[in-house]
Amino acid sequence: MLEIKPIFHALCRSKVGAMLLLIQIAITTAIVSNAAFIIQDKISFLSQETGYPEQDIFLFNVMTFGKDVNVTQQFELDEAMIRQLPGVVGAAMSSSAPLTGSGSASDFSLKPAPQESLSVRTGYFFIDEHGVNTYGVKLIAGRNFTEEEVVVTDNFEKQANVTIVSQALLTELFPGENGLGKTVYFGDIPLKIVGVVEKMMGPWLKDSRPDNLAFIPFINATSSANFVVRTEPGQRASVIKQIEEAMLNNYNKRVISRIRGLDESKAEYVAQDKLMMRMLIVLITILVLVTALGIFGLTLFNISKRTKQIGTRRALGARKSAIINYFLVENAMICCVGLVLGVIVALLLGQILMQYFSIAALPPSYIIITAMGVFCMSLLAVFGPAKRAANISPSIATRTI
Amino acid sequence: MLLHYLDLSWRSFKRTPLVSFLMVLAIAIGIGITMTSLSVYHMMSADPIPEKSSQLYNVQLQTMDEGRTWWKYDNMPLQLTYQDAVNLLNAPVETNKVAMVRSGFSVHLNSDTLKPFIGGARLTTPDFFNMFNVPFIYGGVWTQQQEQTAAPVVVLSEKINDKLFAGENSVGKMIYLDDLSYEVIGVIADWQLTTKYYDLNNGAFNDTEELFMPFSLLEANEFNNWGNTNGWKHEVTHTFKDKLQSERFWIQFWVQLPDEKVKNKYQDYLLAYMQDQQKNGRFNRKELQYTLRDVKQWMAYNDVVSEDNKILVALSFMFLAVCLANILGLLLAKFLRRAPEVGVRRALGASKRQIFLQHLVEVAMLGCFGGLLGIVLAQIGLLGVRQSYDYYSSLATMDLTMLISAPLIAITTCILAGLYPAWLVCRTNPAIYLKSQ
Repeated sequence: MLEIKPIFHALCRSKVGAMLLLIQIAITTAIVSNAAFIIQDKISFLSQETGYPEQDIFLFNVMTFGKDVNVTQQFELDEAMIRQLPGVVGAAMSSSAPLTGSGSASDFSLKPAPQESLSVRTGYFFIDEHGVNTYGVKLIAGRNFTEEEVVVTDNFEKQANVTIVSQALLTELFPGENGLGKTVYFGDIPLKIVGVVEKMMGPWLKDSRPDNLAFIPFINATSSANFVVRTEPGQRASVIKQIEEAMLNNYNKRVISRIRGLDESKAEYVAQDKLMMRMLIVLITILVLVTALGIFGLTLFNISKRTKQIGTRRALGARKSAIINYFLVENAMICCVGLVLGVIVALLLGQILMQYFSIAALPPSYIIITAMGVFCMSLLAVFGPAKRAANISPSIATRTI
Repeated sequence: MLLHYLDLSWRSFKRTPLVSFLMVLAIAIGIGITMTSLSVYHMMSADPIPEKSSQLYNVQLQTMDEGRTWWKYDNMPLQLTYQDAVNLLNAPVETNKVAMVRSGFSVHLNSDTLKPFIGGARLTTPDFFNMFNVPFIYGGVWTQQQEQTAAPVVVLSEKINDKLFAGENSVGKMIYLDDLSYEVIGVIADWQLTTKYYDLNNGAFNDTEELFMPFSLLEANEFNNWGNTNGWKHEVTHTFKDKLQSERFWIQFWVQLPDEKVKNKYQDYLLAYMQDQQKNGRFNRKELQYTLRDVKQWMAYNDVVSEDNKILVALSFMFLAVCLANILGLLLAKFLRRAPEVGVRRALGASKRQIFLQHLVEVAMLGCFGGLLGIVLAQIGLLGVRQSYDYYSSLATMDLTMLISAPLIAITTCILAGLYPAWLVCRTNPAIYLKSQ
């Protein structure tokens, strides 16, 4: 029924065309499966949950050059003023901000430095008791800082003695046990863990431990400070509009800069990954189109070469469906060989990418799905020309002989 | 003869416009995609200072205790400690050297006419301008004496000079940085680098700084570091003085070593310096290690060209291979259909060589068209890149090299694809076709 043997013999007579198609299908499969895997990786990186209501939070930097005020007191006044603005849910000074790519990190250890013990690298923010509310993160165990626990100082003589950590950091510090209430060491400073936040990501999404973050209630205002403000949903833009003027009204020997939403800040940080994802999507889309066109063109050419042969077959009683079948089967045969080759090339390419770049092993499912997709695409590309071939009139065969 | 072949090619192009157009399109898409990713790659890896990139060396010293590791494969810290930087500035080797760090200030004129704004600053030693070929419009660099006495002077970028003084010669005028006043002693011309190679800490493609000031002001005025500070052991650094004496890495250091002789001398000096420091209890390790990397090595070491870009370039070339296979198939179809005509020409005395050449000229012409259209597509692609990521805006462009290589790659690809079909068609046996006509 499928007439594989005669088709195979016919193919052997035009090896080059078949080979070309085969190569195209193989390379296409290899590129598309690997690129799809990278795209998927980027998508999950870009759309990951960060723990913050990014749309409602904005950040800005205050650079104070006037020396006639105490910045610590001034910032207290500023925070109080911002909290009074309509639409504002919370405001706080934060030594650095999440998802921005800039901040501080240190080791949290089970014993004070310089003793050796389990140490876990983590990002940390110096922030007061408004931090949890302002960042809109979810406290799942323990409690927030009390006002008394917040150390406001101009020097380093007094240190904070509590901390709120992300669940990820807690689990890494105390695997398999409840770390709430335990003490960790920030250098040689003991900090008791009083609260645990379900999820809050640190400043670096591309860090090896992006989920490790700690709040430390230590306020030591400097000439350059970061502020975080959370607003009611939908109110952010209007608060952003008035923030610079409001801050300068409070005190004007300073510069308010880099006012930006947390989502915008994140978008800036991940822009390169987004670009890579877009370029790969464009690349594979066009690649599939080019390959489909190639199959389409080659089939058309084959048909025009075999017009007489098809006419003769029709004259001898072949049905239209038999002609269509012929081309579909022929294409499927080439495609299958191409796909086998493609799977091998895809695996090789995946190996090479894994060896030279920090890309995980290509899961077989990507190759299988791509192979099936390419197979369907090639059948679709052949179907049009094959239908045209089926419409060749049997009389052609008789006319030109 | 070439003109005749070109004429024939053009006729053949017009005779089968659809197939010819498809071929040109296939090449153009392949070239467009490849050139888009290759251009970004090319600009990223371009030598930012070709005239002396092999003379400028970044200095790295291994100050960490035996057994400590760092994130780079060779465990070398990327920057120097303040004390090492200051000591290396006093090296007895006569050559340009520069220690520097990034900072920033609120810039104003202490009046109500201009709203204060933030300006990025580089605290650096005077050799900086000479070493990195920084062009001046007005004035010049501070003297060694001003450097030693931490004189309150500043060199402005053209952009900031336009903003503060409407582009006039501002040498001798005063500006305020935070709460202190500084005398302008020079203005540099617009100085853009494709890669900010001299400080790769905070983004390799960031703009150069707008203010340049003596390095000694760092200690005198206790300026903040706007770059990276990294430590490798527990140190209490509450005061600025603690930080200056600490083992933290935060200073970039470059040296110009014009030839092997100076380089050897400098290397000897570095070893001697580290041995000397060991007497003070520093460099607590068996094997003393330093690294000198020139500009290109430094860029490669810091992965200036990102992994994503390399993958993209590799995939684009595979894409081009698919296009090549595609063109090959179409060429085969086109040329073989023309076999009867070739048969007649052969019978009339055309040699195989001539037929072969004629067909190669034809594919080269297709390649040329494809390459030109490919440049247009690449420009659209690069526009998309710039739209998507404005940080790449100075990188996502085609320079002359890329503009020339686009048609060259296209023509080469097409000739490669055309070799087999041309060879096939030139072997046509005239007799068969003469018979059937």
